[in-house]
Amino acid sequence: MMQAKEIMTQDVVTVSGSATIADAITKMKDKGLRALIVEPRYNGDPYGIVTETDVVYKVAAHGHDPKIMTKPCIVVNPELGAEYVARLFANTRIRRAPVIQNGLLGVISISDILRKSDFVEKPKSDFDRYCEENPGAREARMYD
Amino acid sequence: MTQAVVTISGSATVAEAVKLLKEKGLRAIIVEPRHSCDRYGIVSETDIVYKVAAHGHDPKSMHVYEIMTKPCIVINPDLGVEYVARLFSQSRIRRAPVIQDGLLGIISTSDILRKGDFIEKPKELFLEDRIDVARAEARTICKEKRDTSPDCAAAWDIVEELQMAASDQRSKDKEASEKSSFEVYCENNPNAKECRIHDD
Repeated sequence: MMQAKEIMTQDVVTVSGSATIADAITKMKDKGLRALIVEPRYNGDPYGIVTETDVVYKVAAHGHDPKIMTKPCIVVNPELGAEYVARLFANTRIRRAPVIQNGLLGVISISDILRKSDFVEKPKSDFDRYCEENPGAREARMYD
Repeated sequence: MTQAVVTISGSATVAEAVKLLKEKGLRAIIVEPRHSCDRYGIVSETDIVYKVAAHGHDPKSMHVYEIMTKPCIVINPDLGVEYVARLFSQSRIRRAPVIQDGLLGIISTSDILRKGDFIEKPKELFLEDRIDVARAEARTICKEKRDTSPDCAAAWDIVEELQMAASDQRSKDKEASEKSSFEVYCENNPNAKECRIHDD
């Protein structure tokens, strides 16, 4: 199974929670990004995220709204399998999350899963996944 | 909106849809109507990841019709960008085909963010409705507290402010549309006298 760190986007842009929405939009436009990661304010503070959807749903549609970020946001471990990232995203109805381990490593999105993972070439059923994780299990033995 | 739209048949496989999305660098494909009375559908990156990749289903044996949204919400080309944003927010969608006598394009949250002018020129929605409400309130207050009371004057100030905002917005819209129709004329008649550009 491919891991989150293999398909994530390493080019991440962060923004401070106190930046204006106009600043955030300029950053997104300049860098061609759909989300910015909001830096923790101090050691132990959680990460946050502000997405294109937040801006359009909350600002473009309803006028100014000062609180648009999601914090704390769902974060992904770099070793998590791509199929599990897909399942986590489907269950929580999100499309993008920062990849964190001792700091910010990247961002993983549904586009990364679609474009870089091997789910088309090698679709994995729950049984396949079980066998991959428990190669010693009786059911997982292969007979030539 | 984005005019480059790719369509697919509902009977195509998900693997074919993924290939198209990757090749064209798109996030959604429009599903063609089957006959003149049929509706448009849409299949997005999110549909594929949530419904296929997340469950380990084989994209080669699943079909677009199993995961698409049909009928999907469609946008009229004349709808204001702020209203598109509000419609998206209320229906929790991010992308919709723009339709009028056929498929014209697709509009997404990215188009609104990148091409819209809501930061430079924020538009207030429902100004006329708000004027009606403020006017009714002012009349009630003035009736209750005499026409010369400060509360009555303040209430009419609010009405005045809203009316000014509305007329300001109307004149801006008018300017914008006049400019564009002249530009269209010049595009169609590049040699016309009025369209010449003088450098000095």
